[in-house]
Amino acid sequence: MSIEIQHVTKIFGDFAALKDVSLTVPAGELVALLGPSGSGKTTLLRIIAGLEVPDQGTVLFDSQDATARSARDRRVGFVFQHYALFRHMTVFENVAFGLRVKPRHERPAAAEIATRVRELLTLVQLERLAERYPSQLSGGQRQRVALARALAVQPKILLLDEPFGALDAKVRQELRRWLRRLHDEIGITSVFVTHDQDEALEVADRVVILHEGCVEQEGSPEQVYEHPATPFVYRFLGNVNLFHGRVEGSQVHLGEFSMEAPAGMGQAATPAVAYARPHLLDIDHQPPSGRPHFQATIAHINAAGAVVKIELTTGSGAIVNVEMPHERYRHLKLRKGIHVFVSVKDMKLFTQAHSTLGGGI
Amino acid sequence: MSAIRGRRHRVIPGFGLTLGVTLLYLSLIVLIPLSATFLKASTAGWSACWHTVTEPRALASYRLSFGAAFIGAAVNAIMGLVVAWVLVRYQFPGRRIIDALVDLPFALPTAVAGITLTTVLSVHGWIGRYLEPLGITAAFSPLGVVIALIFIGLPFVVRTVQPVLQALDPELEEAAASLGAGRWQTFARVIIPELWPALLTGFALAFARAIGEYGSVVFISGNMPMRTEITPLLIITKLEQYDYAGATAIGVFMLLVSFALLLVINLLQWWSGKRHA
Repeated sequence: MSIEIQHVTKIFGDFAALKDVSLTVPAGELVALLGPSGSGKTTLLRIIAGLEVPDQGTVLFDSQDATARSARDRRVGFVFQHYALFRHMTVFENVAFGLRVKPRHERPAAAEIATRVRELLTLVQLERLAERYPSQLSGGQRQRVALARALAVQPKILLLDEPFGALDAKVRQELRRWLRRLHDEIGITSVFVTHDQDEALEVADRVVILHEGCVEQEGSPEQVYEHPATPFVYRFLGNVNLFHGRVEGSQVHLGEFSMEAPAGMGQAATPAVAYARPHLLDIDHQPPSGRPHFQATIAHINAAGAVVKIELTTGSGAIVNVEMPHERYRHLKLRKGIHVFVSVKDMKLFTQAHSTLGGGI
Repeated sequence: MSAIRGRRHRVIPGFGLTLGVTLLYLSLIVLIPLSATFLKASTAGWSACWHTVTEPRALASYRLSFGAAFIGAAVNAIMGLVVAWVLVRYQFPGRRIIDALVDLPFALPTAVAGITLTTVLSVHGWIGRYLEPLGITAAFSPLGVVIALIFIGLPFVVRTVQPVLQALDPELEEAAASLGAGRWQTFARVIIPELWPALLTGFALAFARAIGEYGSVVFISGNMPMRTEITPLLIITKLEQYDYAGATAIGVFMLLVSFALLLVINLLQWWSGKRHA
């Protein structure tokens, strides 16, 4: 089932959680709503579920207006961040709940309910724990019970609110891959909310980035990562080095260094911000020719991990982060405290803090 | 060495000390006075005791005392839940005042409550005069006893259910709704089971309080033997007749029944609490 959000606005008191948000989720896709806390992502999810009523705008399921339908009638599976399992019911009863509360004429027979629940518990790999109570389960197990419970009523849409937020890093990794596989298996239209960009980029077909109640950008994980539309998206998706400066004539002055302004930039003097990911900066002992560069001192080296992370301080006291492969690190024989040249392989320039006007170099 | 290792480490130690204090305290405050009643009752001899305890007037008083206490506590369990629900779930002007009103039955001297209720419910009272034409006699009848016991028991249920309701995660209801449950199904299958232990506690407290209640009841009941005489009053009557052994015999009997009932309620609670563990 496809979901269409049209011009949805939601205001709590004097706080606008969502401002005229429109969004389409095609049937069968796994979409991530990504944003910092307070960006409105959970509110949007709750509006899709019918747990919150929008002040303006409409929600369409398969092109049919569902705005006035209650949560009960929307037949949407919802997985809560803190699971919201029924403590007084066993795992089995929790999963069976949605089937047992169906109106008499729709309700499956007891044997059929038992079969369905067993199937779902097998799907979430919890068949052995059917008789346990939620308090006897680990966080990851509870999350899977919550998922099985939501799937029991065969919803057309699955919504997950920070599904892995309360779990530790390792379980999180496993569960998010597992969710991806599960989605590929059952092919249900799914939307999940997260504030973790890695999670969104790894799991989702499409990522919608929300900021202060507005959709900042949407697209495939690759699109949003490689071509951030706004400085906010750039900052939010991964670590980034920030250089403030101005465009003057054909030159951009960015504090530590200057470079040619990309074609199409305004000629008048305008403030500019440049963003460079740590792996798009390079370090050398000699000033490299042909690339914008500046001098800096190595302040800290973290060589534990897939890449070496180096923190440097510039002459003006700004901090710059660089990532490089281990081979290059060993080749350069870098040490803490030495002076080096940092050069820019690629960066993205925005001429106004929030404009989408930008260009690479 | 091994003895120390074998023990579980606790941040605040002192099991021995606290258990000792608990036992001593309970002995001084509860057990010693109670065993004195047992001793006193036994001075009359077994058959005399049994005779006092089972005489028709006493039996009628048990029926009234336990029956009215049970009905009162049951009504309180339901209405107390409603009051707690309104206080927790809704914001409205005067909520704090209503919240404070709930505790009044605790603070009011029970005799004052009894006299007030009698005045209001008697044939010429504010409420009694409208009940009379309907054939309902509220004052000086078993109904009056029940009303007095409802009055004094209300805060127990409200105050035990309120915090639990407050802590109840609204997501549970949302989860139930998104799974297709109607309002009534959500209430009966999700909310009530969560509140059950607190409701039982409130019921037990209101019930226990009502069994022992004296002050508010004696004014409204009319104290007619066989009809509106509660057991505590029967005990007082016996005391006034210098029948100390008889009074304590009935007291002991009441004590045993109350203890048995509270034990059953505690077991119920343990059983329902065990499932949450």
